[in-house]
Amino acid sequence: MAVNEDALAYHHPLYDLMLNVPGLAVGLAPVDRLLTWGLKNSLWVFPMATSCCGIEYMAASASRVDIDRMGTIPRASPRQADVMLVAGTITVKMAPRVKRLWDQMPEPKWCIAMGSCAISGDFYRNLYSVVPGIDTFLPVDVYVPGCPPNPEAVMHGLLRLQEKVEAARAGHPVNAEPPPELFGAISPSLPRLTDQNRPPELSEEQVQASLTVVPEGDPGEVPVDLTPPSIPGALPDGVSTELAPLLKDRFGVAEIPADAPPLVPAERHVELAATLKALGYRQLVFVAASHHPAKKDGEAEAFEVAYALRTVGAGSKVASWRVRVPATESVPTLTPTFAGADWQEREQFDLVGVRFSGHPDLRRVMLPENWEGHPLRRDYPADHAAAPWR
Amino acid sequence: MTLFAWLSSILVAVIVLTVTAFGLWWERKLAGRMQSRLGPTIVGPIGLFQPIADLLKLVQKEPIIPQRADRALFWLAPPLTTLFALLVAALVPFGPKLAPANIDVGVPLIIALGGLALIPVWMAGWASHNKYALLGAMRAVAQSVSYGVPLVLTALVPVILAGSMNLNSIVAWQHRHHWLVVWPVFLGLPAFILFILAMLAEANRIPFDIPEAESELVAGVSTEYTGMHFGFIYLAEYVHTLVGSAVASTLFLGGWDGPFGPSVLWMVLKTCLLFSVLYWLRWSLVRLRADQLMALAWKWLVPAGLALVLLAAVWTQTPWGR
Amino acid sequence: MEATPAWRKLPYRRLELYEPEGDLMTLQLGPQHPSTHGVLRIKLHLDGERIVKAVPFPGYLHRAVEKLCEQLTYVQIAPIVDKNDYVAPMTSEQAIILAIEKLLKVEVPRRARWLRSALAELQRVASHLLWLGTMTLDLGGALGGGGSVFVYTMRERELVLDLFEGLTGSRFHYNTHTVGGNRHDVPAGWAKDMHAALDLIEKRIPEYETLTQNNRLFVERMRGIGVLEPELALELGVTGPNLRASGVDHDLRRDAPFHAYDEVATNVITAKAGDCLARTQVRVAEMKESVRLARAFIDGLPEGPLVSGKPIKLPGQFKVNSGQVYAALESARGELGTFLVAGAGTSPYRLKIRPPSYHAISALPYLLPGHTVSDTVAILGSLDPIMGEVDR
Repeated sequence: MAVNEDALAYHHPLYDLMLNVPGLAVGLAPVDRLLTWGLKNSLWVFPMATSCCGIEYMAASASRVDIDRMGTIPRASPRQADVMLVAGTITVKMAPRVKRLWDQMPEPKWCIAMGSCAISGDFYRNLYSVVPGIDTFLPVDVYVPGCPPNPEAVMHGLLRLQEKVEAARAGHPVNAEPPPELFGAISPSLPRLTDQNRPPELSEEQVQASLTVVPEGDPGEVPVDLTPPSIPGALPDGVSTELAPLLKDRFGVAEIPADAPPLVPAERHVELAATLKALGYRQLVFVAASHHPAKKDGEAEAFEVAYALRTVGAGSKVASWRVRVPATESVPTLTPTFAGADWQEREQFDLVGVRFSGHPDLRRVMLPENWEGHPLRRDYPADHAAAPWR
Repeated sequence: MTLFAWLSSILVAVIVLTVTAFGLWWERKLAGRMQSRLGPTIVGPIGLFQPIADLLKLVQKEPIIPQRADRALFWLAPPLTTLFALLVAALVPFGPKLAPANIDVGVPLIIALGGLALIPVWMAGWASHNKYALLGAMRAVAQSVSYGVPLVLTALVPVILAGSMNLNSIVAWQHRHHWLVVWPVFLGLPAFILFILAMLAEANRIPFDIPEAESELVAGVSTEYTGMHFGFIYLAEYVHTLVGSAVASTLFLGGWDGPFGPSVLWMVLKTCLLFSVLYWLRWSLVRLRADQLMALAWKWLVPAGLALVLLAAVWTQTPWGR
Repeated sequence: MEATPAWRKLPYRRLELYEPEGDLMTLQLGPQHPSTHGVLRIKLHLDGERIVKAVPFPGYLHRAVEKLCEQLTYVQIAPIVDKNDYVAPMTSEQAIILAIEKLLKVEVPRRARWLRSALAELQRVASHLLWLGTMTLDLGGALGGGGSVFVYTMRERELVLDLFEGLTGSRFHYNTHTVGGNRHDVPAGWAKDMHAALDLIEKRIPEYETLTQNNRLFVERMRGIGVLEPELALELGVTGPNLRASGVDHDLRRDAPFHAYDEVATNVITAKAGDCLARTQVRVAEMKESVRLARAFIDGLPEGPLVSGKPIKLPGQFKVNSGQVYAALESARGELGTFLVAGAGTSPYRLKIRPPSYHAISALPYLLPGHTVSDTVAILGSLDPIMGEVDR
């Protein structure tokens, strides 16, 4: 995957002239030094800012650090930039765009990988949608480690780049920096978490021991206030107390579990949503689907979709219900009743794979159109990067 | 042309380009200070050599022509923008004798040349084969055409009062009477403000910088330009603003007229002061939308300009205005 | 079924039916564009500069957080979700912790709840400051008046980040919340620093108002642009300041109190117009209110322990076998909730984050048509989307 850009390297006519006419290179050495000086002191940045690191890059250009001091200004068009500062996670969907923008930049150009996501993918590196480090498809000149790096580190990275520019123009071969061993944790959490050697669970004693309350300070003096926390939007309660009769009588709900939203027959749930809307549950809160693979005891593969609505104003309550369908069937869409269900159901279709009948626009929303599979299904591998980065 | 005219035009070009280069530095410093930052400090003493480094860098960049661009127009447009912007400078008198081209129809010619600067901008936008550049060029044309009208109208006020289209005569008239912004103040001051607004729009500066609007159109007309081509467009903007300030100070602030010392100094001082004020505006305001811009030009500036021209004509017939 | 709501009668609002006609230009705004607040692509169908239809394409920052969380134990999740809403990591963390605590039925000491409320309010101030800066950046450009406001607000935001750094040791991703309490207690002198910082911010908010909502040019750009009707907002699930700017008096801090909000009264700020200007006004006013609340929470910080259990070190400390809970809080952008389906053992079976930004973005196809390209950035900016949260 590593890119050899030497074959495509651009030679500026100015340099060619200086190198090809005998004697001119020596005669123009001061000019060459001047050109190098110009090159390294005017590094205009194209901020390829995608996430958290982008915010820290913004902080670096604000008043406390101010990278304008060294002549670095942001340019919105890659055509006018010298440095591509990749700040943030690059996903499989984004990577082709990053590559294209890089190709649109004029030579001589450099690339800074800012933050651990750009360097190695960080803890997302083995997940399906994240590129494990931009150096898999871009030649990175300087790595700025951190999650996210402080603004000062950004400035330091630019200063390192200046050194590199000077060395490269002086003819010292500068190899692409090897990716840093990120504080000894280059491929951080994921491989360790899926480690087969790790004991799966703690023993019951260990758990109990760790759950015992040991207040800090002198337990005798300070009264331990353990008032139960006020938990918002009590989920099953909101349904069971008020709406239980409605659900039982009109919607054929057999039982209302204490710790989960009640199951509603799939063919009745659109009607339930409309009824709840008329009762004042006017705000769509979420649509969340989950995949339940076939079990050994004969239970067929199924999808469960949880919907939640909310009343607005003082004493806001959440009403929530679940719909369970076999994997081969689809759930009736809520889009005619709640316009927001459009995007919510699209997301669940994209990630979990549940189909919604009657949905006007059931396209993928998070993943590229040509993606295969639905990553939040339980049988989709969790530690498997996407195709070219596998 | 006499040798003196040659020398003075070279001198003016050098003055304008030097002032522009350090205008770039000055703007970044000024903006930095306004934003409680420092601005360039590292390159040269107090960052003074920053524009030179930028220039040297831009020269070394790879010139890219997009595959489907119109090659000839794409190449030609950026140098033309700078050229047309500089041409105007040749007409501005920097002293009683220091005017490279002392032409009797100076004022209309300046406005015509300013309008001409629109053509390379449109060329650039069209030739780039880029939607953002095209949108930017379309906006630039609409804007230039609209703001050309109030520009002409307000420039007519000093012409009518001084009774001459020659810039040197206008300055000489102000030297004899008062600077135009001082008296007649009810004519000179509004005309000056209107002229500045129209000039800002012609030079595409905030709050009228919609053709390049980098938060909407990436970089507008210059989106596809690299290296020195971009450098030319960048330079042209500054030259345009600088020359616009020079014209405004000539027409309304007495030009080279000053109480003591050499005239060139006064001219440069006034121009730079006006230039700084324009940047002060730039770094404090947000930009308008295209339709609001047009509304402002046609609903407010044009009627106001017409009224000012009429008033000026009446004023010359009164005993005080003779 | 009730009658067709008013907003659905407009042809372009019926997205499933509306196909633009004629010879139109399509403009791909993004995914890398100076004003898309991250990586969002909007496909605009333009008639001249007028938008006829707009189709947003999120997902360019889809980092598979929900899949990752299924692999982790409950105590490991909080530092991961920090990165979702990277402008307000503190509330991101709290939202997930609330759900986990609710699922595991862990109690939180009163001191921790008060501290969490104070941190949430400080985070709201920081987040709104950043929003105000980037919003004006969109209107005025990086090289202009917008840039100035941006630098000012970033300067004040640094004060809040300094406070967080003093408390947690980190500028950005704090990992200060743990199941059953907080990790970092308030250090000596921190409250004084906080008061000083908040005094300064409060003093400077009028300055931003002068540059933004009291500035004629700014108002002209924002007024009447991107009007979001309350019924549409509710159906889409738009929450937070965006909803309140449309005239819906709804704020989870008051209406479904979490943390310690049931002990300190919150004033809910609403506006009627529902346009970009109203959203600006609501956020700026909320900043002032948050300054007041943060002071109140820190001044009234009760004594007592900060964690109800041992400091969490063991990944398998919490186990639960069944249950599905939803817990939500009011983040700077609206209702940030977590729907948690417990698996057998120490990891969740399914974890769904309910991001307010995703719902806000879903309003774009309804808001953009009829406006110009220039308004696109104003509308998008005023909705305050954070792409990390949209795409997760």
